[in-house]
Amino acid sequence: MKKIFILCLIISSAAFAQKPVPAKQQTESILLTGGTAHIGNGKVIENSLVGFKGGKLTLVSEAANFDAVKKQYDKIIDITGKQVYPGFIAMNTNLGLVEISAVRATLDYAEVGALNPNVRSVIAYDTDSKIIPTVRTNGVLLAQVTPRSGLISGSSSVVELDGWNWEDATFKTDEGIHLNWSRMFTTGGFMAAAQGIKKNEEYEKFITNIKKFFADSRAYSEIKDQKEKNLKFEAMRGLFDGNRTLYIHADNVKEIMEAVNIAKDAGVKKIVLIGGNEAWRIPEFIKQNNIPVVVERPHSLPARAEDDVDMPYKLIPILFKQGILVSIDSDGEMSPASNRNIPFYAGTAAAYGLTKEQALMTITSNAAKILGIDDKVGTLETGKYATLFVSDGDALDMKTNNVTLAFIEGKNIDLRNEQKELYYRYMNKYGLKIK
Amino acid sequence: MKLFSAFIICLLFSIPSFAQETFPVNGVADGNPNYDAFTNATIIVDYKTKLENATLLIQRGKIIEAGENIKFPPGTVVHDMKGKFIYPSLIDIFSNYGFKPVERERRTDRRPHMERSTKGALGWNEAIKPEIDAVKIFTADSKASEELRKLGFGAVLTSPMDGIARGTAAFVTLGSERDNETVIEGKAAAVYSFDKGNSQQDYPSSLMGAIALLRQTYLDAQWYKNSQAKEEYNLSLEAWNNIQNLPQIFEVNDWQSVLRADKIGDEFGVQYIIKGGGDEYKRADEIKKTNAKLIVPINFPEAYDVEDPFDANIVSYNDLKEWELAPENPSYLEKHSLDFSLTTYGLKKKDEFWKNLRKAIEYGLSEETALKSLTYNPASFLGLQDKVGSLKKGMLANFLITSSDLFDKKNIIYENWVNGKPYSINDFDAININGNYLLTIGDKTYKLKIEGEQKKPKAQVQRENDTTKISAIISVKRKLITLTFDPKDKTGMIRLSGSIFENPLLLKGKGQPGSGEWVDWTAEFISGITGEKEKSKIKPKLRLTDIIYPFQPFGRKTKPGNPKDVLIQNATVWTNEKDGILQNTDVYLKDGKIFRIGKNLKPENSSVEIIDATGMQLTPGIIDEHSHIAISGGVNEGTQSSSAEVRIGDVINSEDINIYRQLSGGVVASQLLHGSANPIGGQSGIVKLRWGKIPDEMKINGADGFIKFALGENVKQSNWGDLVRERFPQTRMGVEQVYVDAFTRAREYENKWKAYNSLSASDKQKISPPRRDLELDALLEILNHKRFITCHSYVQSEINMLMKVAESFKFNVNTFTHILEGYKVADKMKQHGAGGGSFSDWWAYKFEVYEAIPYNAAIMHDEGVTVAINSDDAEMGRRLNQEAGKSVKYGGLSEEEALKLVTLNPAKLLHLDKRMGSIKAGKDADVVLWTDDPLSVYTKAQKTFVDGICYYDKDEDAKMREEINKERAEIIQKMIEAKKEGEGVRKPVKKEDMLYNCGTIVEDYLSN
Repeated sequence: MKKIFILCLIISSAAFAQKPVPAKQQTESILLTGGTAHIGNGKVIENSLVGFKGGKLTLVSEAANFDAVKKQYDKIIDITGKQVYPGFIAMNTNLGLVEISAVRATLDYAEVGALNPNVRSVIAYDTDSKIIPTVRTNGVLLAQVTPRSGLISGSSSVVELDGWNWEDATFKTDEGIHLNWSRMFTTGGFMAAAQGIKKNEEYEKFITNIKKFFADSRAYSEIKDQKEKNLKFEAMRGLFDGNRTLYIHADNVKEIMEAVNIAKDAGVKKIVLIGGNEAWRIPEFIKQNNIPVVVERPHSLPARAEDDVDMPYKLIPILFKQGILVSIDSDGEMSPASNRNIPFYAGTAAAYGLTKEQALMTITSNAAKILGIDDKVGTLETGKYATLFVSDGDALDMKTNNVTLAFIEGKNIDLRNEQKELYYRYMNKYGLKIK
Repeated sequence: MKLFSAFIICLLFSIPSFAQETFPVNGVADGNPNYDAFTNATIIVDYKTKLENATLLIQRGKIIEAGENIKFPPGTVVHDMKGKFIYPSLIDIFSNYGFKPVERERRTDRRPHMERSTKGALGWNEAIKPEIDAVKIFTADSKASEELRKLGFGAVLTSPMDGIARGTAAFVTLGSERDNETVIEGKAAAVYSFDKGNSQQDYPSSLMGAIALLRQTYLDAQWYKNSQAKEEYNLSLEAWNNIQNLPQIFEVNDWQSVLRADKIGDEFGVQYIIKGGGDEYKRADEIKKTNAKLIVPINFPEAYDVEDPFDANIVSYNDLKEWELAPENPSYLEKHSLDFSLTTYGLKKKDEFWKNLRKAIEYGLSEETALKSLTYNPASFLGLQDKVGSLKKGMLANFLITSSDLFDKKNIIYENWVNGKPYSINDFDAININGNYLLTIGDKTYKLKIEGEQKKPKAQVQRENDTTKISAIISVKRKLITLTFDPKDKTGMIRLSGSIFENPLLLKGKGQPGSGEWVDWTAEFISGITGEKEKSKIKPKLRLTDIIYPFQPFGRKTKPGNPKDVLIQNATVWTNEKDGILQNTDVYLKDGKIFRIGKNLKPENSSVEIIDATGMQLTPGIIDEHSHIAISGGVNEGTQSSSAEVRIGDVINSEDINIYRQLSGGVVASQLLHGSANPIGGQSGIVKLRWGKIPDEMKINGADGFIKFALGENVKQSNWGDLVRERFPQTRMGVEQVYVDAFTRAREYENKWKAYNSLSASDKQKISPPRRDLELDALLEILNHKRFITCHSYVQSEINMLMKVAESFKFNVNTFTHILEGYKVADKMKQHGAGGGSFSDWWAYKFEVYEAIPYNAAIMHDEGVTVAINSDDAEMGRRLNQEAGKSVKYGGLSEEEALKLVTLNPAKLLHLDKRMGSIKAGKDADVVLWTDDPLSVYTKAQKTFVDGICYYDKDEDAKMREEINKERAEIIQKMIEAKKEGEGVRKPVKKEDMLYNCGTIVEDYLSN
């Protein structure tokens, strides 16, 4: 067995002429030695061994038994002084569905119509998006690709951020339906913010319609093989047998409470709250109903002038400490490019009340649990997929996040991206030294 | 002058009156030479003079005399006013009486409207309409005048209230005569505002545009006046010049705009009378300094329905406080000795006037000032104090006859005399019959309760030994009374009619029960209504929450004062100087400056505040080169390709919560930029974040002038939809031509002035001076290196273009802000001498940023360009330290160089590095104490100092949060109390402040 201490990724700038190539299946078994392993469930192994074969983790332990196991691996990579993490998961994102926000031809995330549970995001997921490599370079290796618009915007799927096409990349298909809960209070319309926020007169109508839609869907689902197919109701089936999760997008206290109550009454088995800006007012309610929350990116302004200046920063810690299963998304401005900042959103949660390992859970194991993929990813535990990466420093801090190695199901990921290429290209033009 | 001989009276009477002499009479002449004498009255001659047992004598609409012991000639109708009061009638000098309210017609197309929609030899901008002469289009409105007369008003100043320069207003009485007689002064004042009203023209589309337009119009009017050979005939400018000698009234809606309007006036030697928004209490001291007389509304905010605690959450802290404090505004102004008039303008329903006025009195306004602000002041503001506002010889016979003191809750206005003509408001002889009665109808007895207003009494009947209250229909006319009710005994309605007898009070008459037979009835007075009196007695003393500075959450109870001397001990100090990062070092702040840096520094005296900063890190304050916070009324005047004349400095909003939020992220100063909707935007406001100071105090004195330029998709309107394709330029090709044209025009303009200025004094007399043009002035400053460009830019081609244009005009572009493709032309920038701002990692939000890379800052930096990381975003602005930290990750900058991206480098780009940007003795004490490594995601600002004053303190912040919650709860309790007491409430509404970025276009700039 050959011992390789450093995998050298320094490639001359001339070599960066093409886009990253999807990785090949793992053939060589690999052992990462000496790194600090962040398991993703709150635990850390300071001086660790992380081994994987055929795409699956075979060893996660202290480095003490290195001599005993080294022979079992084809390739040994010394990552002493570095950090190894389970791949981060981008929740609720339009990654791959949006390329350039202002260019309509590149937008495939919002279908027309109010109720589109049958619309599937995954088939529009563009593996060739130039944004994806820039996201993965910061440690984000999986994403829940989610449509937007209407009341029910469609179904989301989980993808791995590497692959030749969407079929390759798909990790869990059509795992959830997304419901945008109506606002009880609305603004007057376009550019009318100054007119103030008022009671939404359409709200009651929305409630009637959505209740009816749930009731109809449920009744329809009682018959396995319907003669007259209704694609919308078909898509809703999974909500009542627990195969699909209902993701409710809601921010305000009463909307959250009402949404949860109505969805439960309708017989929906799994409910997740997305957004939850005001969830800090009712953590008990959320806990009692056992609802996981995917919090909108903490790098946001408080909803009201008198809110705590750091309210968006500490929302995750508040919910986490209540025992709620909480994760983070990057939705908002600069989405989907902002997915590369997900590690720093978690870092912010660590600055405002969580330990770093707790903060890490929100974008690894917690996200995996919410998506129902925690049997395969989300932590560094033997038997799970070798979807992980190595960073020179603390990956949750922008100053030190520097990903040098990444694996998805053991496949060694090409960490080049067009932005790095442009960097090399112009540093080269000016004759400057690349650091 | 107690005695008046009949002779003199006769002389006076022989002065010809103003009767309708030019009009033919249909019938016989019907003049009335009689006198009217109102005797035995308490006469309030003016707001400070009260005469008991006095007489008012009038004839032909004028006051002959008011005083004690007045004798009147034969031919006098005598009105005995024993026990009654006579007041000068009230005056409102801010009204659109007789005109329809301006309803802005919204344009449905999105095409540019660069020219005026109406034709004529008028000025270029249709929001400037000084030629509007209200009196020419005025006709009395009998319904509106009746409504105002009921409240006690006798005369108003009125104009259509449309536009920025609204022309002249007419002073009219509220009588029902021919318009010829109601008009007292055809041109009594000129009226202005910041509101473009119904103008269909695009310009101005922002508050700063409105201000620039006013400023330019003053200059144009001067030029027009002075130009010898008229180059154009301009009705608007001519009218403008003709009305400058009138009282100048300026309408604004909040205290910040009071200061804005006054400043414009100061520039052109005009002292406006300013109609404010009713929130002057927030800054009474500063408003006093303007010396402006004020017109103040009393449309106090309505309470909210706050019973549901979750729904109540959407009502902001500010709105709660405003509801609580606004009724105190008039009394606050009185305490600060401000001269003001009150107006009914803005009241949703005019009949709220008395309720609100009494509330203001309850909140401390003295009755004398209340009367003054409704009589003498409005008259004297217009120079009409000899005609109206008092009851003196020769003045208009405009007066009120009341039952008691005007401000007494129970006062009844009986008659409102206008121009010597009576208008009855309430019956003179009406008797107050409110009380509890024993009602006997035939052999049955009931309890009867009569209460409420004299004109609209309410009645309630109760059967004996029964608690059911039956409401009855009652009407009272003079001494006649009608009462109808259903006794609920299945006998049908009882209908009663009768008379009122006094001493003792007794109601008596005949009636018909359901059976139809006639019966006698009486109602004997038993007791008065006690409820009302008791209520007013037990009113607890008002306890209001404090006024805070700014009037925002996290405002403080005192205004920022002088800096304290502070000694920060044992910190890790990032100096940004050649000393680099110093460990265990003390920094001494004194008099707002950095005094000393060193180890074991000793305080000079015991008043120096000592901060133990062990384990903490001290950096220079963060400077945001590109920000759009703290701006009122729109960030873009993008209606023309060049708007160099507009100034963000005119519209700084010191009340933006984002100022505090930035401070919480260690930001001490920001360049507030115009948006990027046009190639040549507007002039910057460069401010320090002095939270609690007024806009002018936030500006950095002596800072160089900057101006925003913009390139790319925004200025060519690429993402505005297919309908917006007309305004030049629509391509990058056109953008170049805008610049070349602008600078060419500026150069020619300079030459014109040079030629003129070189003439001898006598030659100057012979020709007209060139016209001053504020847009060209600003452009010329750029050419002459007195104003500096910061240019919104993305792609390399256009960046290169602007540098070439600049070079051809022999100046440099100072900064390319968020220049995301700067890395592609860093060598050219370096050569040209331009600096660059950058986002750390934004990209892909539009096509021109598809090749934006996070390594941009590092490449430019390594190539020798001065680079800043800027925000352009209120959220990112408070994390600029983290964004700088990303440059360590992307491109490997050293930590020191990374921190400079948001401190020293932006100071350099703003030419402020001599006083800001590093920790060096003598520089401004703008420093931030961090809990941790300032570039890390884990750090927090512990304290942020600006000029040595701690404007953000993490521990104080925690306390303020508690106080805000407490105050909210306190006011909400009061609101619920008020609702219980019958105050009207509205559904919770949240006002949302708009967050601006470069591309924000507002629909209605005055509501943003």
